Amino acid sequence: MGQFNTFLLKEWRESWRSFKFIWIPIVFILLGITDPILNYFMEDILNAVGNMPEGFATMMPELHAIDLLAASTGQFQSIGLIVLIASYTGTFSKERQNGTATLLYVRPISFTAMFLSKWIVASSVAIVSAIAGYAGSMYYTVLLYGKVDPARFMAMLGTYCIWLLFVMAVTVAMSAAFKTPIATTITIVLILIGSVVDSIIGGFWTVTPYKLSTYGLRFVDESVTMSIFWSTFILTLSLIFVFVIVGIYFSKKRASTVKV
Amino acid sequence: MEELANINWALIAPLIILQFILALVVIVDISCNGATNGPKWLWIIVALFVSTIGPILYFIFGRKSQ
Repeated sequence: MGQFNTFLLKEWRESWRSFKFIWIPIVFILLGITDPILNYFMEDILNAVGNMPEGFATMMPELHAIDLLAASTGQFQSIGLIVLIASYTGTFSKERQNGTATLLYVRPISFTAMFLSKWIVASSVAIVSAIAGYAGSMYYTVLLYGKVDPARFMAMLGTYCIWLLFVMAVTVAMSAAFKTPIATTITIVLILIGSVVDSIIGGFWTVTPYKLSTYGLRFVDESVTMSIFWSTFILTLSLIFVFVIVGIYFSKKRASTVKV
Repeated sequence: MEELANINWALIAPLIILQFILALVVIVDISCNGATNGPKWLWIIVALFVSTIGPILYFIFGRKSQ
């Protein structure tokens, strides 16, 4: 347990010193508040820079709070996830590359503690960012569009946090198993390309981890089917467990590939 | 100038302030850290003038961890 706390402290400090705890939440807040503001001023923006012909008229769709939350989630799912994956994909492999790992691996360390500490710190950065981003998005949505039931909003946020735990488990496990460029590629293919594929042909099935954020959004407009939600939820939790085990296994196995 | 006064600054101010903080974090990081991938002045210009994406690019590609 003492070893685990030390590793946790090390990862925590590293995330602060590389400013990850500051800039990733700020990026998420920016992503979150851009959509409500952009849509609110859309007519003005089109008038000012749209180069529209004289007498041009558009019908602006009447947006509800749920549409804005969906737009913000879309931003988090693309740019937000790329930022998170790119900044934590080197957590094991960079250490092996630049020699920090040699200082650790010569001691009798527990790889379980090491992996869990890395995963927990990466996930807490992700979760803090998601909460900050959704808080910003929610603030402007309530201000400009209308209210959302706080309990439903919390349910959506909680669901999204489980999805982020899954993403970070995949990222850290791949970082433990491969070198940085390969780990980045595999994680981005698994998470981002996977989401795209799931959104294109996902109509044929209902239970994949990629659908978790969509189901989270459905809490807000009350169209969620609880049985499907729970099976997705349990599938995601078990996949998190699998990836944690795989990550611990590979972090032990790849310890010998460290450069001296 | 009249158009500038008509803008609802209370709505847009947080956006500008956050961009500014993000650029500031990049500049602090560049001045504290020893080395970057590529020239330092270029990253400062990118962080200041490319909004949001500029600082992200710096932290992902420009930062060298010791």
